[in-house]
Amino acid sequence: MEIGFLFHILLDFSLAFVVACCWGILFGTPARILWIAGLLGGWAHAFRFVLLQFDVGLISATLIASLSVGVIGIFCSHKVYHPSVVFTMPACITMIPGLYAYRTMLGSIKLTDMSASQLSAELIPEIMHNMMLTLSLLFTLAIGISIAALLFRSKSVPETTRKNKRRRL
Amino acid sequence: MNTDVSIDAFTDLALDVATALIAAGAHSGRVHTNLKRLAQKWGFGIELNLTFNAALITVRDASGNTLTRYKNTPPHSVHLERLTEYSRMTWKVADGELSFDEAQQEARRIAQSPNYNDWLVAVAVGFSCACLCLLAGGSFLNGCIAFLAASLGSLVRVHIVKWKFNPMISFVVASFVTSLIAGMDTLFGIGSSPEATLATAVLYLVPGVPLVNSIIDLIEGYLTSAWNRALFAAFILLCIAVGMALSIALLGIDNF
Repeated sequence: MEIGFLFHILLDFSLAFVVACCWGILFGTPARILWIAGLLGGWAHAFRFVLLQFDVGLISATLIASLSVGVIGIFCSHKVYHPSVVFTMPACITMIPGLYAYRTMLGSIKLTDMSASQLSAELIPEIMHNMMLTLSLLFTLAIGISIAALLFRSKSVPETTRKNKRRRL
Repeated sequence: MNTDVSIDAFTDLALDVATALIAAGAHSGRVHTNLKRLAQKWGFGIELNLTFNAALITVRDASGNTLTRYKNTPPHSVHLERLTEYSRMTWKVADGELSFDEAQQEARRIAQSPNYNDWLVAVAVGFSCACLCLLAGGSFLNGCIAFLAASLGSLVRVHIVKWKFNPMISFVVASFVTSLIAGMDTLFGIGSSPEATLATAVLYLVPGVPLVNSIIDLIEGYLTSAWNRALFAAFILLCIAVGMALSIALLGIDNF
Protein backbone atom coordinates (compact mmCIF):
# COMPACT_ATOMS: atom_id res chain seq x y z
CA MET A 1 0.00 0.00 0.00
CA GLU A 2 2.92 2.31 0.89
CA ILE A 3 4.62 1.53 -2.41
CA GLY A 4 1.39 2.01 -4.31
CA PHE A 5 0.89 5.41 -2.68
CA LEU A 6 4.44 6.53 -3.49
CA PHE A 7 3.99 5.31 -7.05
CA HIS A 8 0.82 7.37 -7.33
CA ILE A 9 2.60 10.49 -6.06
CA LEU A 10 5.43 9.93 -8.52
CA LEU A 11 2.99 9.39 -11.38
CA ASP A 12 1.09 12.55 -10.42
CA PHE A 13 4.37 14.47 -10.25
CA SER A 14 5.61 13.32 -13.66
CA LEU A 15 2.30 13.92 -15.43
CA ALA A 16 2.01 17.41 -13.92
CA PHE A 17 5.67 18.06 -14.84
CA VAL A 18 4.83 17.46 -18.51
CA VAL A 19 1.65 19.53 -18.24
CA ALA A 20 3.47 22.52 -16.71
CA CYS A 21 6.31 22.35 -19.28
CA CYS A 22 3.80 22.26 -22.12
CA TRP A 23 1.78 25.14 -20.69
CA GLY A 24 5.10 26.97 -20.49
CA ILE A 25 5.56 26.46 -24.23
CA LEU A 26 2.01 27.66 -24.89
CA PHE A 27 2.64 30.80 -22.81
CA GLY A 28 6.05 31.55 -24.28
CA THR A 29 8.16 30.88 -21.18
CA PRO A 30 11.85 30.98 -22.21
CA ALA A 31 13.08 27.47 -23.11
CA ARG A 32 16.01 27.76 -20.67
CA ILE A 33 13.74 27.85 -17.62
CA LEU A 34 10.94 25.53 -18.77
CA TRP A 35 12.27 22.86 -16.43
CA ILE A 36 11.70 25.12 -13.42
CA ALA A 37 8.09 25.63 -14.49
CA GLY A 38 7.82 21.85 -14.87
CA LEU A 39 9.32 21.09 -11.45
CA LEU A 40 7.13 23.68 -9.73
CA GLY A 41 4.03 22.43 -11.53
CA GLY A 42 4.85 18.83 -10.67
CA TRP A 43 5.51 19.79 -7.06
CA ALA A 44 2.27 21.77 -6.80
CA HIS A 45 0.09 19.04 -8.26
CA ALA A 46 1.74 16.20 -6.32
CA PHE A 47 1.62 18.20 -3.10
CA ARG A 48 -2.07 18.90 -3.65
CA PHE A 49 -2.61 15.21 -4.39
CA VAL A 50 -0.99 14.25 -1.08
CA LEU A 51 -3.00 16.88 0.81
CA LEU A 52 -6.20 15.61 -0.80
CA GLN A 53 -5.32 12.06 0.30
CA PHE A 54 -5.08 13.34 3.87
CA ASP A 55 -8.61 14.75 3.63
CA VAL A 56 -7.68 18.40 3.35
CA GLY A 57 -10.48 20.11 1.39
CA LEU A 58 -9.95 20.84 -2.30
CA ILE A 59 -9.81 24.61 -1.84
CA SER A 60 -7.48 24.57 1.17
CA ALA A 61 -5.23 22.03 -0.55
CA THR A 62 -5.01 24.17 -3.69
CA LEU A 63 -4.32 27.27 -1.59
CA ILE A 64 -1.49 25.59 0.29
CA ALA A 65 0.00 24.16 -2.92
CA SER A 66 -0.12 27.44 -4.83
CA LEU A 67 1.28 29.37 -1.85
CA SER A 68 4.19 26.94 -1.73
CA VAL A 69 4.75 27.50 -5.46
CA GLY A 70 4.68 31.27 -4.94
CA VAL A 71 7.23 31.13 -2.10
CA ILE A 72 9.57 28.71 -3.89
CA GLY A 73 9.14 30.84 -7.02
CA ILE A 74 10.53 33.90 -5.21
CA PHE A 75 13.74 32.00 -4.42
CA CYS A 76 13.99 30.55 -7.94
CA SER A 77 13.49 33.95 -9.53
CA HIS A 78 16.57 35.26 -7.74
CA LYS A 79 18.59 32.23 -8.79
CA VAL A 80 17.79 32.37 -12.49
CA TYR A 81 17.25 36.12 -12.85
CA HIS A 82 13.72 36.01 -14.28
CA PRO A 83 10.53 37.46 -12.75
CA SER A 84 8.82 34.68 -10.84
CA VAL A 85 5.52 35.00 -12.72
CA VAL A 86 7.23 33.59 -15.84
CA PHE A 87 7.36 30.13 -14.30
CA THR A 88 4.82 30.25 -11.47
CA MET A 89 2.06 31.05 -13.98
CA PRO A 90 2.41 27.80 -15.99
CA ALA A 91 3.01 25.88 -12.75
CA CYS A 92 -0.17 27.14 -11.10
CA ILE A 93 -2.19 26.74 -14.27
CA THR A 94 -1.76 22.96 -13.99
CA MET A 95 -4.33 23.35 -11.21
CA ILE A 96 -6.66 25.72 -13.11
CA PRO A 97 -10.28 24.75 -12.44
CA GLY A 98 -11.10 24.48 -16.15
CA LEU A 99 -13.26 21.44 -15.54
CA TYR A 100 -15.50 23.29 -13.07
CA ALA A 101 -15.50 26.44 -15.20
CA TYR A 102 -17.03 24.83 -18.22
CA ARG A 103 -19.28 22.57 -16.18
CA THR A 104 -20.75 25.89 -15.04
CA MET A 105 -21.10 27.00 -18.64
CA LEU A 106 -22.54 23.69 -19.86
CA GLY A 107 -24.99 23.74 -16.97
CA SER A 108 -26.06 27.24 -17.90
CA ILE A 109 -26.62 26.12 -21.50
CA LYS A 110 -28.76 23.24 -20.22
CA LEU A 111 -30.90 25.77 -18.36
CA THR A 112 -32.20 27.07 -21.70
CA ASP A 113 -34.09 23.80 -22.08
CA MET A 114 -37.16 24.24 -19.87
CA SER A 115 -38.07 20.57 -19.69
CA ALA A 116 -34.55 19.60 -18.67
CA SER A 117 -34.42 22.23 -15.95
CA GLN A 118 -37.75 21.03 -14.57
CA LEU A 119 -36.70 17.40 -14.79
CA SER A 120 -33.59 17.88 -12.72
CA ALA A 121 -34.05 19.93 -9.58
CA GLU A 122 -30.33 19.77 -8.84
CA LEU A 123 -29.36 21.71 -11.95
CA ILE A 124 -29.23 25.16 -10.33
CA PRO A 125 -27.48 24.06 -7.12
CA GLU A 126 -25.01 22.20 -9.36
CA ILE A 127 -24.31 25.31 -11.46
CA MET A 128 -23.88 27.45 -8.35
CA HIS A 129 -21.61 24.86 -6.75
CA ASN A 130 -19.38 24.66 -9.83
CA MET A 131 -19.28 28.43 -10.19
CA MET A 132 -18.32 29.03 -6.57
CA LEU A 133 -15.71 26.29 -6.74
CA THR A 134 -14.24 27.83 -9.91
CA LEU A 135 -14.06 31.29 -8.36
CA SER A 136 -12.57 30.08 -5.09
CA LEU A 137 -9.93 27.98 -6.82
CA LEU A 138 -9.05 30.90 -9.10
CA PHE A 139 -8.62 33.15 -6.09
CA THR A 140 -6.30 30.65 -4.41
CA LEU A 141 -4.17 30.35 -7.57
CA ALA A 142 -3.95 34.12 -7.99
CA ILE A 143 -2.98 34.56 -4.34
CA GLY A 144 -0.22 32.00 -4.83
CA ILE A 145 1.14 33.76 -7.92
CA SER A 146 0.99 37.25 -6.43
CA ILE A 147 2.27 36.21 -3.00
CA ALA A 148 5.47 38.20 -3.48
CA ALA A 149 3.52 41.42 -3.97
CA LEU A 150 1.34 40.64 -0.96
CA LEU A 151 4.11 39.58 1.43
CA PHE A 152 6.62 42.33 0.83
CA ARG A 153 6.00 46.04 1.10
CA SER A 154 6.59 47.89 -2.13
CA LYS A 155 9.96 49.57 -1.89
CA SER A 156 12.61 50.60 -4.31
CA VAL A 157 15.93 48.86 -4.00
CA PRO A 158 18.68 51.41 -3.28
CA GLU A 159 21.14 52.00 -6.10
CA THR A 160 24.12 50.63 -4.17
CA THR A 161 22.67 47.19 -3.47
CA ARG A 162 21.25 47.01 -6.98
CA LYS A 163 24.67 46.49 -8.51
CA ASN A 164 24.08 42.82 -7.83
CA LYS A 165 22.03 41.94 -10.92
CA ARG A 166 20.10 39.20 -9.16
CA ARG A 167 18.22 41.76 -7.13
CA ARG A 168 16.80 43.40 -10.24
CA LEU A 169 13.60 41.50 -10.86
CA MET B 1 18.38 63.71 -14.31
CA ASN B 2 18.66 63.85 -18.07
CA THR B 3 16.74 66.73 -19.45
CA ASP B 4 17.53 65.87 -23.06
CA VAL B 5 14.72 63.30 -23.27
CA SER B 6 11.69 64.99 -24.75
CA ILE B 7 8.35 64.43 -23.05
CA ASP B 8 6.86 63.58 -26.44
CA ALA B 9 9.32 60.76 -27.19
CA PHE B 10 9.13 59.45 -23.65
CA THR B 11 5.33 59.24 -23.70
CA ASP B 12 5.43 57.26 -26.93
CA LEU B 13 7.99 54.86 -25.51
CA ALA B 14 5.93 54.42 -22.33
CA LEU B 15 2.80 53.70 -24.39
CA ASP B 16 4.63 51.14 -26.54
CA VAL B 17 5.99 49.34 -23.50
CA ALA B 18 2.65 49.43 -21.66
CA THR B 19 0.55 48.11 -24.55
CA ALA B 20 3.09 45.42 -25.44
CA LEU B 21 3.21 44.26 -21.82
CA ILE B 22 -0.58 44.09 -21.54
CA ALA B 23 -0.80 42.10 -24.78
CA ALA B 24 1.90 39.68 -23.58
CA GLY B 25 -0.11 38.85 -20.46
CA ALA B 26 1.31 41.09 -17.72
CA HIS B 27 -0.96 42.12 -14.87
CA SER B 28 -1.45 45.86 -14.42
CA GLY B 29 0.78 46.07 -11.34
CA ARG B 30 3.75 44.84 -13.37
CA VAL B 31 3.13 47.37 -16.14
CA HIS B 32 2.91 50.08 -13.50
CA THR B 33 6.20 49.22 -11.77
CA ASN B 34 8.08 48.86 -15.07
CA LEU B 35 6.92 52.25 -16.32
CA LYS B 36 7.56 53.95 -12.95
CA ARG B 37 11.15 52.75 -13.21
CA LEU B 38 11.57 54.33 -16.65
CA ALA B 39 9.87 57.57 -15.62
CA GLN B 40 11.95 57.99 -12.45
CA LYS B 41 15.19 57.65 -14.34
CA TRP B 42 14.39 60.43 -16.78
CA GLY B 43 12.71 62.64 -14.19
CA PHE B 44 9.08 62.38 -15.30
CA GLY B 45 5.94 61.87 -13.30
CA ILE B 46 3.61 59.29 -14.77
CA GLU B 47 -0.06 58.40 -14.26
CA LEU B 48 -1.64 55.36 -15.89
CA ASN B 49 -5.09 54.14 -16.70
CA LEU B 50 -4.81 50.59 -17.97
CA THR B 51 -7.67 48.59 -19.41
CA PHE B 52 -7.50 45.24 -21.13
CA ASN B 53 -7.12 46.59 -24.65
CA ALA B 54 -5.72 50.08 -24.24
CA ALA B 55 -3.49 52.27 -22.13
CA LEU B 56 -4.02 55.94 -21.24
CA ILE B 57 -0.92 57.66 -19.93
CA THR B 58 -0.27 61.14 -18.60
CA VAL B 59 3.34 62.22 -18.31
CA ARG B 60 4.45 65.31 -16.37
CA ASP B 61 7.93 66.77 -16.77
CA ALA B 62 10.02 68.70 -14.25
CA SER B 63 8.73 72.11 -15.35
CA GLY B 64 5.10 71.04 -15.02
CA ASN B 65 4.16 70.42 -18.66
CA THR B 66 1.85 67.45 -19.12
CA LEU B 67 1.12 65.22 -22.07
CA THR B 68 -1.71 62.67 -22.24
CA ARG B 69 -1.81 59.98 -24.87
CA TYR B 70 -3.85 56.89 -25.56
CA LYS B 71 -2.98 53.71 -27.46
CA ASN B 72 -4.74 50.44 -28.20
CA THR B 73 -2.90 47.20 -27.56
CA PRO B 74 -1.72 44.89 -30.36
CA PRO B 75 -3.65 41.57 -30.61
CA HIS B 76 -3.36 39.64 -27.37
CA SER B 77 -1.08 36.62 -27.32
CA VAL B 78 0.42 35.43 -24.07
CA HIS B 79 4.22 35.58 -24.22
CA LEU B 80 5.84 35.48 -20.81
CA GLU B 81 9.40 35.84 -22.14
CA ARG B 82 8.59 39.45 -23.06
CA LEU B 83 7.75 40.14 -19.41
CA THR B 84 11.29 39.16 -18.48
CA GLU B 85 12.80 41.15 -21.32
CA TYR B 86 10.91 44.35 -20.55
CA SER B 87 11.68 44.01 -16.85
CA ARG B 88 15.41 43.68 -17.63
CA MET B 89 15.25 46.57 -20.07
CA THR B 90 13.68 48.89 -17.49
CA TRP B 91 16.21 47.87 -14.85
CA LYS B 92 19.09 48.53 -17.24
CA VAL B 93 17.63 51.97 -17.88
CA ALA B 94 17.22 52.61 -14.16
CA ASP B 95 20.86 51.69 -13.57
CA GLY B 96 22.05 53.91 -16.40
CA GLU B 97 23.23 51.08 -18.65
CA LEU B 98 20.93 52.07 -21.53
CA SER B 99 20.48 55.48 -23.11
CA PHE B 100 17.07 56.64 -24.31
CA ASP B 101 17.78 55.70 -27.94
CA GLU B 102 19.02 52.27 -26.94
CA ALA B 103 15.94 51.76 -24.79
CA GLN B 104 13.73 52.61 -27.76
CA GLN B 105 15.57 50.12 -29.97
CA GLU B 106 15.40 47.47 -27.26
CA ALA B 107 11.65 48.00 -26.82
CA ARG B 108 11.12 47.65 -30.56
CA ARG B 109 13.21 44.47 -30.67
CA ILE B 110 11.33 42.87 -27.75
CA ALA B 111 7.94 43.72 -29.29
CA GLN B 112 8.93 41.71 -32.36
CA SER B 113 10.66 38.81 -30.61
CA PRO B 114 9.36 35.49 -31.98
CA ASN B 115 7.20 33.11 -30.00
CA TYR B 116 7.43 29.33 -30.21
CA ASN B 117 6.64 27.67 -33.54
CA ASP B 118 2.92 26.84 -34.02
CA TRP B 119 3.66 23.15 -34.63
CA LEU B 120 5.70 22.89 -31.45
CA VAL B 121 2.89 24.60 -29.53
CA ALA B 122 0.36 22.15 -31.05
CA VAL B 123 2.43 19.16 -29.94
CA ALA B 124 2.96 20.67 -26.48
CA VAL B 125 -0.76 21.36 -26.13
CA GLY B 126 -1.46 17.76 -27.16
CA PHE B 127 0.90 16.33 -24.54
CA SER B 128 -0.49 18.66 -21.94
CA CYS B 129 -4.10 17.65 -22.53
CA ALA B 130 -3.15 13.97 -22.78
CA CYS B 131 -1.46 14.16 -19.38
CA LEU B 132 -4.43 16.03 -17.91
CA CYS B 133 -6.64 13.26 -19.30
CA LEU B 134 -4.49 10.64 -17.55
CA LEU B 135 -4.61 12.72 -14.35
CA ALA B 136 -8.40 12.81 -14.61
CA GLY B 137 -8.47 9.02 -14.67
CA GLY B 138 -8.45 8.27 -18.39
CA SER B 139 -6.65 5.23 -19.78
CA PHE B 140 -3.71 5.35 -22.19
CA LEU B 141 -6.00 5.15 -25.23
CA ASN B 142 -8.10 8.04 -23.93
CA GLY B 143 -4.88 10.02 -23.52
CA CYS B 144 -3.92 9.35 -27.14
CA ILE B 145 -7.27 10.61 -28.38
CA ALA B 146 -7.00 13.68 -26.16
CA PHE B 147 -3.55 14.32 -27.68
CA LEU B 148 -4.93 14.11 -31.21
CA ALA B 149 -7.96 16.26 -30.42
CA ALA B 150 -6.03 19.02 -28.66
CA SER B 151 -3.21 19.19 -31.23
CA LEU B 152 -5.56 19.40 -34.20
CA GLY B 153 -7.80 21.89 -32.41
CA SER B 154 -4.81 24.08 -31.59
CA LEU B 155 -3.66 24.07 -35.23
CA VAL B 156 -7.16 24.92 -36.42
CA ARG B 157 -7.33 27.83 -33.99
CA VAL B 158 -3.94 29.21 -35.04
CA HIS B 159 -4.97 29.10 -38.71
CA ILE B 160 -8.31 30.78 -38.10
CA VAL B 161 -6.52 33.56 -36.23
CA LYS B 162 -4.05 33.87 -39.11
CA TRP B 163 -6.89 34.27 -41.57
CA LYS B 164 -7.98 37.33 -39.52
CA PHE B 165 -11.34 36.00 -38.44
CA ASN B 166 -12.78 37.22 -35.17
CA PRO B 167 -10.74 35.63 -32.36
CA MET B 168 -13.88 34.47 -30.58
CA ILE B 169 -14.94 32.49 -33.66
CA SER B 170 -11.59 30.74 -33.48
CA PHE B 171 -12.40 29.54 -29.95
CA VAL B 172 -15.82 28.23 -30.99
CA VAL B 173 -14.42 26.38 -34.01
CA ALA B 174 -11.39 25.02 -32.13
CA SER B 175 -13.55 23.77 -29.29
CA PHE B 176 -15.97 22.23 -31.82
CA VAL B 177 -13.18 20.39 -33.66
CA THR B 178 -11.51 19.26 -30.43
CA SER B 179 -14.64 17.91 -28.81
CA LEU B 180 -15.73 16.28 -32.08
CA ILE B 181 -12.51 14.25 -32.09
CA ALA B 182 -12.54 13.72 -28.33
CA GLY B 183 -16.12 12.47 -28.57
CA MET B 184 -14.99 9.60 -30.81
CA ASP B 185 -14.01 7.38 -27.91
CA THR B 186 -17.39 7.90 -26.25
CA LEU B 187 -19.03 7.03 -29.56
CA PHE B 188 -16.99 3.88 -30.22
CA GLY B 189 -16.36 2.91 -26.60
CA ILE B 190 -12.55 3.20 -26.76
CA GLY B 191 -10.60 3.15 -23.49
CA SER B 192 -11.87 2.80 -19.94
CA SER B 193 -13.23 6.28 -19.17
CA PRO B 194 -14.12 8.11 -22.40
CA GLU B 195 -15.84 10.97 -20.59
CA ALA B 196 -12.45 12.07 -19.19
CA THR B 197 -11.24 12.71 -22.76
CA LEU B 198 -14.16 14.98 -23.54
CA ALA B 199 -13.68 16.88 -20.29
CA THR B 200 -9.93 17.46 -20.55
CA ALA B 201 -9.19 17.83 -24.28
CA VAL B 202 -10.56 21.39 -24.46
CA LEU B 203 -8.64 22.58 -21.39
CA TYR B 204 -5.93 24.15 -23.57
CA LEU B 205 -8.49 26.77 -24.64
CA VAL B 206 -9.30 27.82 -21.07
CA PRO B 207 -7.95 31.38 -20.71
CA GLY B 208 -5.88 30.73 -17.61
CA VAL B 209 -3.65 33.79 -17.83
CA PRO B 210 -6.47 36.39 -18.14
CA LEU B 211 -8.42 34.62 -15.39
CA VAL B 212 -5.53 34.65 -12.95
CA ASN B 213 -4.48 38.18 -13.95
CA SER B 214 -8.01 39.36 -13.38
CA ILE B 215 -7.87 38.21 -9.77
CA ILE B 216 -4.37 39.67 -9.27
CA ASP B 217 -5.60 43.03 -10.62
CA LEU B 218 -8.55 42.83 -8.26
CA ILE B 219 -6.23 42.20 -5.32
CA GLU B 220 -3.97 45.10 -6.32
CA GLY B 221 -6.85 47.48 -6.96
CA TYR B 222 -6.90 47.84 -10.75
CA LEU B 223 -10.64 47.43 -10.97
CA THR B 224 -11.30 48.37 -14.61
CA SER B 225 -8.67 46.04 -15.91
CA ALA B 226 -9.83 43.27 -13.56
CA TRP B 227 -13.39 43.50 -14.90
CA ASN B 228 -12.20 43.59 -18.50
CA ARG B 229 -10.07 40.51 -18.11
CA ALA B 230 -12.79 38.63 -16.25
CA LEU B 231 -15.34 39.47 -18.94
CA PHE B 232 -12.94 38.46 -21.71
CA ALA B 233 -12.15 35.15 -20.01
CA ALA B 234 -15.79 34.42 -19.20
CA PHE B 235 -16.78 35.02 -22.80
CA ILE B 236 -14.06 32.67 -24.04
CA LEU B 237 -15.38 30.04 -21.65
CA LEU B 238 -18.84 30.59 -23.11
CA CYS B 239 -17.44 30.21 -26.65
CA ILE B 240 -15.77 26.93 -25.63
CA ALA B 241 -19.04 25.72 -24.14
CA VAL B 242 -20.93 26.64 -27.33
CA GLY B 243 -18.44 24.76 -29.49
CA MET B 244 -18.72 21.74 -27.21
CA ALA B 245 -22.49 21.90 -27.14
CA LEU B 246 -22.58 21.96 -30.95
CA SER B 247 -20.38 18.90 -31.37
CA ILE B 248 -22.12 17.02 -28.56
CA ALA B 249 -25.45 17.67 -30.26
CA LEU B 250 -23.96 16.50 -33.56
CA LEU B 251 -22.52 13.31 -32.04
CA GLY B 252 -25.72 12.68 -30.13
CA ILE B 253 -24.03 12.07 -26.79
CA ASP B 254 -26.47 13.05 -24.07
CA ASN B 255 -24.76 11.71 -20.96
CA PHE B 256 -21.80 14.10 -20.75
